[in-house]
Amino acid sequence: MSDKPFFVGYLPAPGPLRTFLLTACVLLIAGLAGAGFLMGAAQDDPGPGAFRFDYGRQTVTGVVEMTPYPVIHVTEGNDRIKPGDSFMMTAGGKSGVDSRAMPLDGQLAQVSGIVLERGDLYMMQLRGGRNGLQAAEGDAPEITPEPQGRWKLAGEICDGKCLAGAMRPGRGLAHKACANLCLLGDVPPIFVSTQPVLGEEFLLVIGPDDTRLPREAYDHVAQFITAEGEITKHGDLLIWEIDVDTIEVTE
Amino acid sequence: MDVAQALVMAMQTWGMIGALVAAVFLTIGIDRIDEDARGAYIFRPLLIPGVLLIWPIVLWRWWQIETERAPWANRYRPVRASYGLAIIAMSIGIVVIVITGLSVRQTWPADIAPVQLTEGAGQ
Repeated sequence: MSDKPFFVGYLPAPGPLRTFLLTACVLLIAGLAGAGFLMGAAQDDPGPGAFRFDYGRQTVTGVVEMTPYPVIHVTEGNDRIKPGDSFMMTAGGKSGVDSRAMPLDGQLAQVSGIVLERGDLYMMQLRGGRNGLQAAEGDAPEITPEPQGRWKLAGEICDGKCLAGAMRPGRGLAHKACANLCLLGDVPPIFVSTQPVLGEEFLLVIGPDDTRLPREAYDHVAQFITAEGEITKHGDLLIWEIDVDTIEVTE
Repeated sequence: MDVAQALVMAMQTWGMIGALVAAVFLTIGIDRIDEDARGAYIFRPLLIPGVLLIWPIVLWRWWQIETERAPWANRYRPVRASYGLAIIAMSIGIVVIVITGLSVRQTWPADIAPVQLTEGAGQ
């Protein structure tokens, strides 16, 4: 018969095993806690973006423009959203509002929903159906794009909704798959510039000649890149026509 | 084929072989090597996910038992003997993956300023 201590679950642990078990438990708990702390500390700050449910439902009127992503240029605002503001729109989940906005391109429309806000960037998640977006009475002022020249920028392509606050973190490599799913669902893509461009840190990023963001650019979503392209100002929103052939990944 | 497509194809191939092994083992094999399973069918679908994942071990044990190549306890010994090595390899692997991931992570290029290459028509 062996003298080795033998652990039986419903009996008190033998002396030598008790010491081993206590030591193993302490090391395991301390090790996991330490690993958790280190991994958490290594993460980037997710930033201040959030759904602003505290603002309540916002309803404003403006001109719809397909850039090709739907943007509204506010003509009648409220106490938070001022006339002259331009912002992007999205639907619930990982989907855009293109099908609802296309028939209203260039027309006056009333939009209603919840604001997502991250610093200077904000976007609206519209209510479902006509409650979120419907034609409004009145003449729509013409929106004239203002070319701002060709720029080389450094930064990151993100999906606008998560970046604005739907997810935390809403950017970075850990968020790449989510961002690409959002972009596939027609959520407007945003370029986060390393430094302000014409006073703006966030630009709506599209493909050449007012096309959607090319699929080739999806591989570089959430990576830190440099690229070139034409910038145009629509209302108070900057739109960057990225040239995918110039994309370079930074170190 | 890029890395992502290769990974998906590898997973699909593994799963398809696993499905084939599950179909054959759960309809024919299990009756041949486990007399307690004969006539019992309700539990068999519950084994499908496990067989999909570890079908090589299922085949190996089926072969060991079917051919009676070793005494009962020895049929399991080679697998158990590799547990310790697998635990050490996985522990080291996790640490290596975390350290590698952190070390190859890009840094935010904050020092690269926007450069205007041409002026716009409206400027």
